[in-house]
Amino acid sequence: MNGFDGTEFMGQTVKPPDNPSVMGRGAPRDLRISRLQRALGALASLKLTLAILAALGGGTMVAYLSEARTTWALVLPLAAFSVNLAAAVATNPVFRRQTALLMFHLALIAIVLLIAVGRLTYLKGQLELAQGQVFDGQLTQEESGPWHPRRLDAVRFSNQGFTIGYAKGMRRAATRNQVAWTAPDGRPRQAVIGDQDPLILEGYRFYTNFNKGFAPVFVWRPRSGASPQLGAVHLPAYPLHEYRQAQEWQPPGSRSPLWIMLRFDEVILDPEKSSEFRLPTEHRLVVRAGEARRELKPGDAMHLAEGVLVYQGLRSWMGYTVFYDFTLPWLLAACILAVASLAWHFWRKFSARPWNPPVS
Amino acid sequence: MTELQALWAALVLYVLAGSLAIFGAVLRRQPERTVLILLVAGLALHTAAIVLRWERLGHGPVITMFEILSSNIWSLLLVYALAYWRIPAIRATAAVVMPILFVMMGWLLMTSPTEGHLPATYHTVWLYIHIGFGKVFLGAVLVAVGISGVVLLRGTGYGGKRFARLPDDSRLDELAYRFMALGLIFESLMLVAGAIWAQDAWGRYWAWDPLETWAFITWLTLAFALHLRFTLKIRPRTGAVMIVAVFVLAFLTFFGVPFISTAPHKGAV
Repeated sequence: MNGFDGTEFMGQTVKPPDNPSVMGRGAPRDLRISRLQRALGALASLKLTLAILAALGGGTMVAYLSEARTTWALVLPLAAFSVNLAAAVATNPVFRRQTALLMFHLALIAIVLLIAVGRLTYLKGQLELAQGQVFDGQLTQEESGPWHPRRLDAVRFSNQGFTIGYAKGMRRAATRNQVAWTAPDGRPRQAVIGDQDPLILEGYRFYTNFNKGFAPVFVWRPRSGASPQLGAVHLPAYPLHEYRQAQEWQPPGSRSPLWIMLRFDEVILDPEKSSEFRLPTEHRLVVRAGEARRELKPGDAMHLAEGVLVYQGLRSWMGYTVFYDFTLPWLLAACILAVASLAWHFWRKFSARPWNPPVS
Repeated sequence: MTELQALWAALVLYVLAGSLAIFGAVLRRQPERTVLILLVAGLALHTAAIVLRWERLGHGPVITMFEILSSNIWSLLLVYALAYWRIPAIRATAAVVMPILFVMMGWLLMTSPTEGHLPATYHTVWLYIHIGFGKVFLGAVLVAVGISGVVLLRGTGYGGKRFARLPDDSRLDELAYRFMALGLIFESLMLVAGAIWAQDAWGRYWAWDPLETWAFITWLTLAFALHLRFTLKIRPRTGAVMIVAVFVLAFLTFFGVPFISTAPHKGAV
C-alpha cells in the first residue's frame, strides 16, 4: 500500500521531457502518455481510496435508512472503487513487488464485478405447490435482473408431501419435504429438501419456506361442455392464519366467485406439547356461491349454475423460495482468494519485521 | 457444581483479576502472574459452565442474550488471555480491557438464564464457523482497544505516570494495528461464512438486513482505519481514537442492532 511514484506506467519507465517547448517528433506521444499517466495516477490515489470508502459507508447508510429505492447510493461508490483499484493495480509498482497485495486487489475487483453481474442476472421468487402438484415454471412473486436468462420454464419438479415438527410452544423445527423430478438422462429422481438443503435444478435453488397450509382439491365440470379440470385452492398459511382458513376462488371459465372455508375441531399443533403438521382427521368444507351454502365432504358434489363442483379431498401445500445467481461459486472463490491473499500479505509484512524482536 | 455456579465462580475470578490489574496500574505494581492465573482459572470454570449447558440443551450458546453474552465474555477473555500471556510488554492494558468486560459481566448478571429454542435454520455447522470468526474478530479488536486505551490515557498526566513502563506510543500503535489487521481478516471471514449460511438458511447470501448492514459498515470502518494509517501516517493518538471507534461500532453491531432488527437474522436476541 505504497504511494504512486509517478515514474512507471504499465511496467515501463517513462521519463518526461526536460523542456516541453523543444520536444522532438516523438514528443506528442510522450505528452499523451504523460497525461494518461497523471490521470491514472490521480485515479489510483490512496487518498481517493479513503474518500471512496467513506462514500461507500455513507451510501450504505443512505440505502439502509431510505425507504425509496437507492441503488445508486451503492452503485456509484462501488463503480468508483473498481476504477480506483484497477488504476492502482495498473500503475502502482508496489503490486509488481508484492504478489499477495496484487492478488488481494484483483480479488476485490473481481468481487465488485461479480456482484454487478449477479445483480444483472439474478432471479428471486416465490411459489406454492399442493401435494402431488408439478411446478410448471410459474411464480407467484418474482424479481429479476434485466439480463436474467429465463430457463425456469424448463424446470419441473413435484411436491411429494412434507413433515414439519413443532416443539412445545409451537416453535417450528425441521422441515422435510420430499420432491421428485426427472433428471436430464431421463431417470426419475427423488430427494428430501428443507431448511438448509435446497433442490438445485438448472442453476435455480428451490428452498422450502415457512409458508404452508391446507389445499382443498376440486374437480370442476363446466356445463358449457368444456373438459373437466382438477385444481387445488391454497387456503391461507397455517398456523400463521389459523383462524382465517377461508379463500375466495373462481372456477376456471366461471363468472361467479366461490367462497371456501375449511372447518375442523381438533387441535393440529398443540402449544402445550411437541406436535407435527398434519391434515385434520375430520373436516368440513363450507362452500358459498351467492346465497347458496353447502358443507362438503370428500366425494360430495355441489351443483351450480355454471357447472358441478366435486370436492376430491384435502391436501397440504408447501411454499418455496427460488433463487438464481450463477456467480455464487465464483463470488465465493473470489472472497476466499481476497481473504487468503490479505492474510498472506499481512503475515509476510509482520513476520519480516517482528514487533518485539529478541534482544541480542 | 452446576453450570450457573461454575459461571458465577468464573465471574468472581475475572473480577478479582480485573480489580488486581486496575490496582496494579494505579499503585504502579506488577501483579501480572497472579492476574494471569486468575484469568486462566476463571476461563477453565467458564468453559465448564458452557460445556455443561451445551450438553444439557443440545446446542451451543447462540440463542438467548444470556448465552451470547456468556460466550462472548468467554471468547474475548480467551483472546485477551492469550495476548496477555504471549506479549508481556502490554500486560498493563488489562486495566483498560477488564472494565469493558465488567460492563458485559454486569449485563450478564441482569439477564435471565432461561433456555431458548434453536430455530431450524440454526442447525448448520456454518453458524458456528460464522460466530467463531466473529469472536476472534472482536477479541483482536478488544486487544487493540486495550493498547489504544493506554495510548490515550498516557496523553493525560495521570495515565502518563501509571503506564510509563510500557513501550512508547509509536510501538504500541504498531502493535494495535497488527491486531486490527487480524481483526480485518477475521471480520472478512465472518462475513463470508455468514453469507454461506444465509444463502442456505434464507435463500439469499446478502439482504442488507440491519445486522448485515451494520457488520458491513463496521468492516468498512475497519478497512478505512487501516488504510488511513497506511496512507496518511497518522499520529498514534489519532490511530487510537480510530480503533476505539471501530470497537464501539462493532460492539453496537453485535449487541445493539439485534434489538432493533425484525429480520430473521437476529444475532444476539
